Amino acid sequence: MKKLMLLFAFFSILGMQVYAQKTVTGTVTDDAGDALPGASVLVKGTTVGTMTLGDGTYSIDVPGGSNTLVFSYIGMETQEVSISGDKVDVTLKPNLEIDEVVVTAYGIVKEKREITYQTSKVDNEEIMRSAPTRVASGMVGKVAGLQINIQDNGVNPMSQILLRGYRSVSGNNEALIVIDGSIASQGAFNDLNPNDIEDITVLKGATAAALYGSDAGNGALIITTKKGAVSDKVTVGITSSYTMDQVAYMPDFQTKYGTGWEGAYDAVENTNWGPRFDGTLRQIGPTFPEDHPLETQIVPYAPVADNLRDFFQTGNTLSNTVYFQGGNESSKFYMSFGDQRARGIVIDDEYRRNTLRVNASKTVGKVEMSTNVSFLNDKTDVVGSTIGDQDRTLYWFVLNTSANIPLSQYSDWSNPLSYGYADNYYNAYYQNPYWAIGTNRNVDYTNRLNGNFSISYDILDWIKFTSRVGLNNSWGTGKNWRAYQDYNPALQPAHGTVASFVEDFEFQSATYNFDALLAINKNISEQISLKLNLGATSKLYNYRQSEIRADNLSIEGFYDISNFTGALDVNVDESQTREIGTFADLTVGYNNYLFLNLSGRQDWTSTLAPGSNSYFYPAAGLSFVATDAISALKNNNVLSDLKLTVSNSTVYNSFNAYAINERFYQSSGFPFGDINGFFLSTTAVDAEIAKEKLNTTEFGLNTAFLKGRISLDASYYMTKTTDLITYVSSSYASGASTKLTNIGELNGDGLEVSLSGTVLKTKDLTWKLFTNFSHEKTIVTEITESVDEIALYTTGQYGVYAVKGEAFPQMKGNVYERDPQGRIVVDPVSGYPIEAEGLANLGSPVPDYIVALGTNVNFKGFTLSATADYRTGHVYYEEGSDAMEFTGRSLESVSANRQDFVIPNSVIETSPGVYVENTDIQVQGGRQSYWTDVYNNVKSNYIKDATALKIRELSLSYDLPKSIIDKLPIQKLSVGFIAINLKTWLPAVNHFSDPEFQNQKSRGGTTVPANAVGLGGYMQSPPTRSFGFNLNIEF
Amino acid sequence: MKNIIKYTTIVFVAGLLMFSSCKEYLDVNTDPNNPTVVSPDLILPVAQKYTANILLASDGGGRRINTLGNMMMYNWSQSDGFAWYPDEFKYLVNSSFYQSIFEDSYGNALKQYTVLEGLGTEYDNYKAIAMIMKTYHFQLLVDIYGDVPYSEALLRGENTAPAYDDAQTIYEDLIVKLTSAIALIKTTSENVAAETPKGDVMFDGDMTKWIQFANTMKLRILTRQMSMTGRETYIQTQFTAIAAEGSGFMTEDVAINPGYIAGTEGKQNPFWNLYGTDAGGTQTLTSKATCATDYILDYLTTQTNDPRVDFIYEEPTTGHLGVPQGLLDYDTPTPDAYVPELVSNIGPGILKSADQSAVIYTLAECYLNQAEAALNIYTAGNAKSLYEAGVQASFTYLGAGDATAYLGQAIENVSWDSSTDKLEAIITQKWIATNGLTAEQAWFDYSRTGFPAGLPISQLASTDDRPVRLFYPASELTTNTANVPTQANAFTAKIFWAN
Repeated sequence: MKKLMLLFAFFSILGMQVYAQKTVTGTVTDDAGDALPGASVLVKGTTVGTMTLGDGTYSIDVPGGSNTLVFSYIGMETQEVSISGDKVDVTLKPNLEIDEVVVTAYGIVKEKREITYQTSKVDNEEIMRSAPTRVASGMVGKVAGLQINIQDNGVNPMSQILLRGYRSVSGNNEALIVIDGSIASQGAFNDLNPNDIEDITVLKGATAAALYGSDAGNGALIITTKKGAVSDKVTVGITSSYTMDQVAYMPDFQTKYGTGWEGAYDAVENTNWGPRFDGTLRQIGPTFPEDHPLETQIVPYAPVADNLRDFFQTGNTLSNTVYFQGGNESSKFYMSFGDQRARGIVIDDEYRRNTLRVNASKTVGKVEMSTNVSFLNDKTDVVGSTIGDQDRTLYWFVLNTSANIPLSQYSDWSNPLSYGYADNYYNAYYQNPYWAIGTNRNVDYTNRLNGNFSISYDILDWIKFTSRVGLNNSWGTGKNWRAYQDYNPALQPAHGTVASFVEDFEFQSATYNFDALLAINKNISEQISLKLNLGATSKLYNYRQSEIRADNLSIEGFYDISNFTGALDVNVDESQTREIGTFADLTVGYNNYLFLNLSGRQDWTSTLAPGSNSYFYPAAGLSFVATDAISALKNNNVLSDLKLTVSNSTVYNSFNAYAINERFYQSSGFPFGDINGFFLSTTAVDAEIAKEKLNTTEFGLNTAFLKGRISLDASYYMTKTTDLITYVSSSYASGASTKLTNIGELNGDGLEVSLSGTVLKTKDLTWKLFTNFSHEKTIVTEITESVDEIALYTTGQYGVYAVKGEAFPQMKGNVYERDPQGRIVVDPVSGYPIEAEGLANLGSPVPDYIVALGTNVNFKGFTLSATADYRTGHVYYEEGSDAMEFTGRSLESVSANRQDFVIPNSVIETSPGVYVENTDIQVQGGRQSYWTDVYNNVKSNYIKDATALKIRELSLSYDLPKSIIDKLPIQKLSVGFIAINLKTWLPAVNHFSDPEFQNQKSRGGTTVPANAVGLGGYMQSPPTRSFGFNLNIEF
Repeated sequence: MKNIIKYTTIVFVAGLLMFSSCKEYLDVNTDPNNPTVVSPDLILPVAQKYTANILLASDGGGRRINTLGNMMMYNWSQSDGFAWYPDEFKYLVNSSFYQSIFEDSYGNALKQYTVLEGLGTEYDNYKAIAMIMKTYHFQLLVDIYGDVPYSEALLRGENTAPAYDDAQTIYEDLIVKLTSAIALIKTTSENVAAETPKGDVMFDGDMTKWIQFANTMKLRILTRQMSMTGRETYIQTQFTAIAAEGSGFMTEDVAINPGYIAGTEGKQNPFWNLYGTDAGGTQTLTSKATCATDYILDYLTTQTNDPRVDFIYEEPTTGHLGVPQGLLDYDTPTPDAYVPELVSNIGPGILKSADQSAVIYTLAECYLNQAEAALNIYTAGNAKSLYEAGVQASFTYLGAGDATAYLGQAIENVSWDSSTDKLEAIITQKWIATNGLTAEQAWFDYSRTGFPAGLPISQLASTDDRPVRLFYPASELTTNTANVPTQANAFTAKIFWAN
């Protein structure tokens, strides 16, 4: 590899033709007099260029005939200086934020001052502070209005990216991803090597993204990857990071009572309904017969500290990226190769991925061609998710281990002479989790090719044509298997045999985008400027997946579908959508301080019937730069920039392929021999179904104080969604459980404030702080005349709903009946609390507000940075606590010392509406059945405050000073300590897990819709935190 | 340079070409995996399989009507080491208790039958089958819930919140529907072009049996109303009509079998799949968890010397042992008195094989209903011989051989002649004959007649007797708020025919 690198560097340098005539030297500094290392120096009109060294000095050979140098530096105004003599020193002035350029929809570049909506930019340095393995986790807390939920902590974590909350009940609410100008996908975003990213512009609302039509509603992340830099040599760099990942915290469990049932000790129980711990020696597990080589197991009847936590190991992640970049004025390139290997906190969980990126561009006269391509392949090898005869996840087996069991001693599961062996394991009902790891695997391989090719041509100096072809293809295969296991009935009478299976699946997903864009940029007069972009676009999406499942394999340990008995279960799913759009975007400027933006898009989609498949998406906005318009505010040292914006747009959300037709599906179990069977869909479809409409109004304020040392941005927005495309729950008696139709109205509003500034700046020390605040709330204002709520996911006892008059989404759960004073009404005979009819609204899983705080301190070569965020005002359903109530490990179950007790603050209804305080009627079954059968039936007991304060990242890095670098054959060396999710504070009521986790996918055969958030807590392993080091060297 | 312009042009032109054939380009909205139209022979077997599931168990192991009946009628209890039936033991009738009975009846079976019922005249036989099967489900719905959506039901998107109809009105219309279905079949059979329905996994397209089943459905509907006062004329009229039609009643157990086979997930008989062994051949946990009650064993052995006991319940090597319903505390009086291996699980007469047919209406019940009709002199039949034929049919189904010796015992509710209350004898025998098969029928009879007398209730019950109906499911409360009636008292508000 290294040889290849050198060879490549050698040719790249050879390729640059240099005709030296004159050597010019000098120093580039900023307005504080500090040296600017890495500033670009170019000979105007040539391809000759260099970069300043660590002390800001440069030396350049200027060809004959050239007499101007161009100096540029990120965040600084570019400056052209004529050469006089052989020494040119330059002081660059900081760019005012308002003069920055912003990449918007379809790669249209605008000046920040003329933008009429809110955007935000995060650059590579900010993303990479804690060397995240995924871009999303490097963005948490850094942009107001952007909520990123890391929904699990496996070796290949998935995240949910929301901009300004929820606007659609059944549709997609996640932000659009655009990479280098072409529409990509959240998968493609997840597959990016974070090192490759130059910056990400966040288009916060539908107005900003309106040109994307039905993809616009959720805002967009506009990702620009590194393009290479102008330099007289090729930069070769290596970025490495290594982190150790460990369990951050486990659920809070009771440790007073151990193995048993109904108060009696039971040596083989998974439940903790036994007597109080007394430290005596007791048998656990089966009684082995006399001739068995194992002795019956005896352990102290006392809690084993951290017995469940010790099941998990310390995982680790090693990431390495090698990159090359270089270029001159006419061509640039950036290439990288990344390798990431992760070992999970679950033994044997492994993930590996390689990424490769090639970005290159070439300008020939008026034509510029560029290509940006990345390729990924990865392998995920994790424990299966349908373990045992009850198809449970691994964590279930860990949690079903009693408090007095030394779990970590059972790791030798394959040895018949070990207590960890299936027949010998202590637990009569659930298997040894170590056994689960060895006998259940999910292994998959995925690939992704994402990139584009574009050509642009300057027809005139004010008209430019750009054409772009983008592709985002991913494909993969996988195999999930489970081993057969039977039991010696003498030792394990209660265990059901575990049936074996193997599932083989593959998928292919392909998206192609074609964009053509004509950009006209002309100043009509001194006062009036005009920018017009005309575009045409087309999008194709093809998807196919197939899955074959073989059950009850005939040869043990051979996981091929040919090994099936009974019948194979085969499923193929395909889908195809197409879309065509045309758009125009006009910005008229007046005196460079007042801008009017008008845009419109007309598009046609394949998912609706011809004749009703075309929609128009208008947007309009105004931007006013007060500090340039009002003379009293001009050149003001306190208020440097003040910009006000207002905008409005209407976009329409589309829906899935084929959804407009009611279809038949092959019924489960069929065919029986030659009898096949199909059932009519459980969803009825409204014949008049149309796209849903989203209107957004936004007011914005962008300010900078003290020459940009402090900046404050704020925006307030209102969204209104009507004609919601919704699967409305219908009465089952209608013959369909849902109806796909347009209904109702959602009204949302939100406030975002970002404040950042340099608190301290001296020669050696710079201290920056940033904070942002986001509040977003969407209320369901109407559903239909007869329906007041829609269940997104429900078990009948709890669920996630859209409820009229309430925030969306809304958690609902069954609750106790209470008297007017709020006291629990109990049954006068049993003492059991009475359950109220129906489900109550218990809050939204969307935070009321999020506050993030970050800091960045530079002292000499050291940089200390940290980001924390606080989310509150929301709830989540702690599925783990609910599922574990049965096992008697909840803190609540010991709150009355396992006795019958009078429910505190309870009443009896003596006659209708008359409530008398209950002082003596005790609940029965306090030692067990009250908790498992009564308390556990009321799910509001498990819907908890989801507030969390997290230190998301903390890093301390050190850049080797120039004086040492100069003596080494390197350009840059930086080392750092990083910590991710260092600390999480949760409210006392949250006993279980990270409220950000989401147990999505399918449960009980029902797929949980993506918007049914707030169902979390136990299907993954416990939350982790990571510590490690990173390193960056450039040659 | 020229080349570059050329390439740019090519890309641009390619783009234009793409847009020019817009209409065809966008015409890709046909689902390649799921059809929008299928023929009736692919709809009927699914509907019938759903019928079996709703009675016996879902493919995923969800408990359904028969389990409810067995728990209500004190037939089944729970083995040691399991916490399997907490809600049943508490008679915890709430809006989530057995809600799938309501939801699956409409959402699965009735939906499919309605598709068939809406077919054109060329499919009259399919339509008639659909109409008959719909009455089967609607009667069960009324018997379990009382008023239910009927006249406005099953219109899918056109009416997502159907009104509820009066239970007795529905009952009367069911008779009308059955009469129409019979007429449709008879008209069809005179029509040369009429085809034998394919995919009929109940009677294999034998339309004579469908007419007999329609009459047998009428029999069940009418029998249920026989304890009502002032209903005699109506019932008599209907029996006269049945006699006039002339095809008679079923002479075999009515069963569904799409082709159940052992060893394959989703293809086993759903009852076997839940209470027997899974596709891998392993005894299920539910099988181990479910066992006889002490009372029923005592009744079948000590009190009546019923040879069927060994077929309804499996006899452990240590002898039959039943567990009282609601017993959770296994440590008194003797620790672990009810070890799972020592209790009587469901027996070989009920659990025959993974490919056994799903009985939805037993021949025994057919005879016993006829016996009750004869007893009340609605028909000319001999009540005693119909009674004895019913008991024999039960023996035959279970594989218990000849019932003569059993019937000859001078024991109340065994021997017809020794029984002081003939109705009690009929209902008690129906309770035994439907045990494990269609036990809900005994539950309905209990609400109606109070027989079998002296049946214990669960130890965990907080009421004096068992429920007489279920609550409407939570889904109705939220999706059909305007129409769903107030939940009636599940223990006192009897269905109209029991008042």
